[in-house]
Amino acid sequence: MEINIYTTPDCSMCKAAKAFLAAHNLPFTEHDVSASRQAAAEMLAKTRERKLPVIDIGGELVIGFDQDRLEELLGL
Amino acid sequence: MREPDVLILGGGPAGLTAAIYAARAKLAVTLLETVTAGGQLRDTVAIENYPGFQSVTGEELAGRMAEQAKRLGAEIIGFSPVLSVSLAAGVKTVQTKKASYRPKAVIIATGAVPKKLPIPNEAKFAGRGIHYCATCDGALYENSVVGVVGGGNSALEEALFLTNFASKVIMIRRRGYFNGAASTFEAVMNHPKIEVLFHRDLLDVSGGDSVESALVVDTRTGEKTGIALSAVFGYIGTEPKTALFRRDIALDEQGYILTDETLRTNVPGVFAAGDVRVKAVRQITTAVADGTVAALNAEKYIKQGQNMAGA
Repeated sequence: MEINIYTTPDCSMCKAAKAFLAAHNLPFTEHDVSASRQAAAEMLAKTRERKLPVIDIGGELVIGFDQDRLEELLGL
Repeated sequence: MREPDVLILGGGPAGLTAAIYAARAKLAVTLLETVTAGGQLRDTVAIENYPGFQSVTGEELAGRMAEQAKRLGAEIIGFSPVLSVSLAAGVKTVQTKKASYRPKAVIIATGAVPKKLPIPNEAKFAGRGIHYCATCDGALYENSVVGVVGGGNSALEEALFLTNFASKVIMIRRRGYFNGAASTFEAVMNHPKIEVLFHRDLLDVSGGDSVESALVVDTRTGEKTGIALSAVFGYIGTEPKTALFRRDIALDEQGYILTDETLRTNVPGVFAAGDVRVKAVRQITTAVADGTVAALNAEKYIKQGQNMAGA
């Protein structure tokens, strides 16, 4: 399952989400929306919310670090 | 069932300091953290009032505290939100998704979270122009006009941080003064991108998909004005994370935990430290002090229990 995560460098919950994925040995692709306009546009097209992180798990979106929802979607 | 001597709930500066002191007292210490160590520190970009550091990021300071606690033997378990507690009876139990704990002493250091803006459209625009974490969401408002509501240090610091992205930052302040540090206030007042609206209170926000304008009222004249902006960041204080403890632990009307000088709660063997308890000054330094006092008194409590058992 492909995991894409949209982040900014200073965002603590983005770091938490990445740490959570890493702790479960789940590979993910990170997109820094502060560095790339394209990434920001892509994220905003997927979700109308501007709350980070946005985690796209095979098309299912998790907005903000929501551990319960991540565990549910990832079958953890 | 795990049975540490001390179970610390919360991994901010209060909890981490308690872990350091309890571990140095050779107690078996477990610290449960909802996410990763740091607490509200995690969202603080530059800390310039923690002695020994000219300027340090919250992440680095929290990381150093956590590393120190771990090296001393404390067990820090992240991503472990507490589901339920039973503290009032003689035996204290704490339940997470993965484990149950029956510690001799508990230190509650769960901290506080930003208070939501008390406006009608808060829920409608949460994440779509209503925000509470500039370091998290600020970068999405590049070249936009954003508002900051609040009157303390956090509001001032976050307004400065937001100037990295926003074309203009409008501070909405109910009163004619700020409560924050004089140096930060000066930086805000002198910043070309920041406009301060004194004596203005936020009444509501409106927009389509996301926030497009804010309605503010002049607190002296009652005159209402609309301001075009894309987001409002709220820093109007915090509320304690004490929902789980309501049944067992004595709280004040705002939900903060009542303690005595030794940071004992109304329940023997349960202590509270940091922003979660009733106190006058909530700073990293005072959280660290609380962690110290709570851990040393938890140690005393445990040793007294052992002496009594031995006698």
